[in-house]
Amino acid sequence: MKPASFTYHRPRELDEALSLLDNYSDDAKVIAGGQSLVPMMNMRLVRPAHLVDINEIGGLSYIRKTADKLQIGALTRQAHLEQSPVLKEFCPIISDAIHRVGHLAIRQRGTIGGSIAHADPAAEMPTIAALFNANLTITSTEGTRIVPACDFFITIHTTNLLPNELLTEVAIPLVNPNDGWSYQEFARRSRDFAIVSAATILSLNEVGKVSNILMALGGAKSIPINVSASLKGFIGEVPDEAWMSAIVRTVTTGLSLHSDLHATAEDRLVWLQLLVKKTLQESLQGAKMGER
Amino acid sequence: MTVQTIKTKPTERAYQVLGERMPRKEDFRLLTGSARFMDDIEIPRALHACFVRSPHAHARIESINTENALAVPGVVAVVTGKDLAQWTTPFRMAPQIAGLLPMEMTALPIDKVRFDGDPVACVVAVDRYVAEDAAELVEVMYKVLPAVTDMFKAIEDGAALVDDALPTNLVSSQRYAHGNVSSRFAKADVIVEATFSQHRQTHVPMETRGCAAVWDEGRQFLTLYNGTQVPHPMRTSLAARLGLKETQVNVICPDIGGAFGQKIVLYREELTIAALAKTLKRPVRWREDRRENLLSALMAREDFVKTRAAVRKDGQILALQAELFSDFGAYSFFPANYMISVVAMLLPGPYKIQDYAFDVKVALTNKCPAGPFRAPMSITSWVTEGTMDAIARELGMDPVDVRRMNMLRSEDLPYETATNERYEDVTPYETLERAVQQFDYQKRREEQATGRLQGHYRGIGICSVLESTTYGSEFYRKAGIKGTGHEAAWVRVEPTGVINASCGIMNSGQGYETTIAQAIAEGLGCKPEDVAVHLGDTMLAPYGMGSRGSRGAVAGAGTSYLAARKARDKVLAIAAHLLGVASAENLNVENGNIMRLSGDTWVQTDLTLYDISQTAYLNPLLLPPGMEPGIEIHTAYDPPAMTYSNATHLCEVEVDIETGVINIGRYVIVEDAGTMLNPQIVEGQIHGGVALGIGGVLLEAVVYDENGQNLTRSFMDYLLPTAREVPNIEVVHLDTPNKTTPVGLKGMSEGGVMGAIGVVCNAVSDALSPFGIVIEEQPLSPGKIKSLLRSRGVN
Amino acid sequence: MAKVPVQLRINQEDYQVFVEPRKLLSDVIREDVGLTGTHVGCEHGECGACTILWDARPARSCLLFAVQAEGHEITTIEAVSHDGQLSPLQQAFHEEHGLQCGFCTPGIIMTFESYLKDHPNPSEAEIRDVLSGNLCRCTGYQNIVCAIKKAASMITTGLQKG
Repeated sequence: MKPASFTYHRPRELDEALSLLDNYSDDAKVIAGGQSLVPMMNMRLVRPAHLVDINEIGGLSYIRKTADKLQIGALTRQAHLEQSPVLKEFCPIISDAIHRVGHLAIRQRGTIGGSIAHADPAAEMPTIAALFNANLTITSTEGTRIVPACDFFITIHTTNLLPNELLTEVAIPLVNPNDGWSYQEFARRSRDFAIVSAATILSLNEVGKVSNILMALGGAKSIPINVSASLKGFIGEVPDEAWMSAIVRTVTTGLSLHSDLHATAEDRLVWLQLLVKKTLQESLQGAKMGER
Repeated sequence: MTVQTIKTKPTERAYQVLGERMPRKEDFRLLTGSARFMDDIEIPRALHACFVRSPHAHARIESINTENALAVPGVVAVVTGKDLAQWTTPFRMAPQIAGLLPMEMTALPIDKVRFDGDPVACVVAVDRYVAEDAAELVEVMYKVLPAVTDMFKAIEDGAALVDDALPTNLVSSQRYAHGNVSSRFAKADVIVEATFSQHRQTHVPMETRGCAAVWDEGRQFLTLYNGTQVPHPMRTSLAARLGLKETQVNVICPDIGGAFGQKIVLYREELTIAALAKTLKRPVRWREDRRENLLSALMAREDFVKTRAAVRKDGQILALQAELFSDFGAYSFFPANYMISVVAMLLPGPYKIQDYAFDVKVALTNKCPAGPFRAPMSITSWVTEGTMDAIARELGMDPVDVRRMNMLRSEDLPYETATNERYEDVTPYETLERAVQQFDYQKRREEQATGRLQGHYRGIGICSVLESTTYGSEFYRKAGIKGTGHEAAWVRVEPTGVINASCGIMNSGQGYETTIAQAIAEGLGCKPEDVAVHLGDTMLAPYGMGSRGSRGAVAGAGTSYLAARKARDKVLAIAAHLLGVASAENLNVENGNIMRLSGDTWVQTDLTLYDISQTAYLNPLLLPPGMEPGIEIHTAYDPPAMTYSNATHLCEVEVDIETGVINIGRYVIVEDAGTMLNPQIVEGQIHGGVALGIGGVLLEAVVYDENGQNLTRSFMDYLLPTAREVPNIEVVHLDTPNKTTPVGLKGMSEGGVMGAIGVVCNAVSDALSPFGIVIEEQPLSPGKIKSLLRSRGVN
Repeated sequence: MAKVPVQLRINQEDYQVFVEPRKLLSDVIREDVGLTGTHVGCEHGECGACTILWDARPARSCLLFAVQAEGHEITTIEAVSHDGQLSPLQQAFHEEHGLQCGFCTPGIIMTFESYLKDHPNPSEAEIRDVLSGNLCRCTGYQNIVCAIKKAASMITTGLQKG
């Protein structure tokens, strides 16, 4: 399966890349890791007339810690993130989630920006972005704008990005070391594209009651969804079995899941419920009581 | 390493070289990337082909417009079925078998397409990229017809006909009975019924199909480079279809990246490429891509079997009835009855069942055609053993005891089966008992019971396998199928005492260059390092039937061994003459040295193979009077109608009833493949076969929608097992030689598949038996398990 | 799109090829450079047969365009053995019967030549996890796992003897 013809561009600077995108707009596609794009090009499902290779642009791959967040350059390779001690310390749920992405060779090329922009609703990076409602920096020749993740994802493989725009940075808040967290996914084989996934971070106060809870679900809709708002009523409670079951019910009711070759809607719901429960259990195991 | 490979029958060292865990001769080139697979062969000026394929499951071809495709720069030709019909003869599959309807097909379809992926045109261009560009521009006007995608519906009145030349889609239908089935059923205490439905799968060799054809206009000679399991039959077919003499065609097989039965027949694509090379007078090559391979190469395994067993209350089976049905797809590249008939033939398994009747039907459907896929009889062991388990459940007996009650023991052999097969030198009972012991069966049952109380649903699966291998000419005669099973080999001791050899079989990963070298070294008495085995060139190799049905050991190595023995006889006759002794009786060849029996011990003489060979080629006047110079032996050997090997698989699974996920735990195989050429290779074949079977049961599935659209055309959708899905397997070898084959060899490489399918399905049935669930359908995806649990009220 | 000149550095040698930008790195390595040890199994990144090293790290060559490779170091299977001497990993595969048809083998060797450098003592579970990125249809993986374990131990011992 050989791809259709294209004109290849290899900008050295961000400005150059942005001008190209301005110029070629809908006729252009950006290639970063290429792990999702090139299979589609080889199958001729996608046939850009212009391919803008951003891999040689400096200054787009970094992990910077500030007082309250981690700023990650969009071109940072997943393998680099996986091994990053900064990430392990300040946002371990990402390290864990990234480790589950594809295979070694895929992670060597795949980038965090590319994965988020590709917007597979059950994939690890989009789900993480939704979990934190991460601030996504989008750049074009007109300047930059910041879009929170929940506004960024529109539907499957479709985002807020205009044809002349590039995702350049992902900002994730730091996770308190006392917080418990868990990322779980269900797939046919280990490391396959997840059918459904769940991510949870929770905090316990000094008397062991839940003081904060963040949760995102992957594969539950055409985009990864942050369901934290629906969990406000569970704050201040003791996290027992009944509490966990109630949360499972709350976040998985009213979902219109789809059926496809790999799973029916009914099965997706069951697995999602099991994953939500598991992330709650695992988060609780890891959480330490303390003031927040 | 957690693997156990124990030779349980300590035998005297009967062989010098056989049974050695010799590392393979093939490895160096494969490990260093210097092997030559089809696509690696450089052919100057070769053009590249790309096929245009039907997107419809069933449609009339109204017109094909190639104008725009031809206009693409770099395109040399675009041909259709009509063009190819001028250069090729049609293929007719019409064995004289009662109940089997004939089929004829042209090189490429002309009137209509019969499955999603059916090739309708071929573009030839300077490279594959350009060829694909042009293929998109070939305009085919189709009139879509209703598609039949269900084998049962396909044979109902009014179903659309897949083959317009036939009055029905029921392409094959036979009945058979042996003994007194109805009266035995009348005497039964209980009748046990069981159903087994297996889904469509495909071979997925890691190397897809492909070929390159070079036409020498001056010599009027065609060379086809093709990774085929059967070089000579391929050559014969190709010559016939192109209207050439066999003297005008050579097939050269490079290294093959897996075949598993998908690289046997002359496909339409290879024929098209060859015809194009001849017509264009330029080399033409084709590499199938993975999408094509998953869509339109060859498929298998979509079988349905229903058994009825007449059983006495102590578990003895009085009689067995079976209904078998198979979905053959759209074209008969093989006789339609062939694979499922072998299932029917083997169904009574290693059990004493003389009163047996079956009814076997095969339907054509609008799907990619079916063919043999490593263990085409794969469903057999699941059916036989699943029936045993069903009987055990019905009677409240331990499933091992039901097997013990009915199984053939050594005193029952040789055994003439209800289907006129002869079982000899097999050890199903011994492997069952050894496996039960090795697995610590009783303890596992106890742990299973305890586990259930704690909400763990473990199951133990048992599967005895009786594997039919090698297929001698007598098999084809009995079955009424055109074909023969003999094999041929030549062995030549060169003047410097090293050995070149060849055989008609062809490697696709089985290590024949090593095992045949071992067999020759054993037969001749030379060192295996001094033997070079050359396979796959039809000018070089002797005319043989090739590799299929686990022929490698008995047919390939066996024939080579026989040739080597004759060479040894000649060598010793020369040695005796040179040494001035009356006969070669007290002489032997060992490690290339001529040995002489002195009293009770063998002593080395001054002569080596080198000396003997120098004499034979360069000093023939010193040979015994009347002896021809040289040492070159050609031999052909026809194996028995069938050579059986056997094994028992035992495994434990745990089913997570919340997720539906199945985990395979301990997996033990006790196998008896007779004399082993190379235990490492035997184990490798077992591991590979088991992985294939597990993949089929748990993951792989070809899925067609109701319109006949193939939904599984990439590795994202057709899921192969990875290193995380295949467990470690413990293998115990028994080695009961076959008394009629050379050095007691047996074939064995398909039994792993049969056993794995049966053992995993049976284990899952056992795990879910507290819920009253019996596995009747594969694949066992988590969704399938959940759905079975829901149907029993378990949410 | 017309062909363009592309500079490649493969196995520490420089090559200049003239190819369309859309030509995949796997095809260029095989056809234009003539190194056919890298195999093509799927062209959608799933089987791992085409795995090479890109700046010393495993990458799927079927998911890269050759034009992208300028300025990078590519290593293929042909560079693993030296003067006919197999690497410890290759030797272990040979001894443990870790290959049958050999089509998937170069991709596995490249993956683990790199992996074992960073992870010299992997557990069986870790090996199987990394190996799950390479599909094999012949071996059932068991002997491949044995081979990798053996190689890891051979390499460690070799380093200790130093």
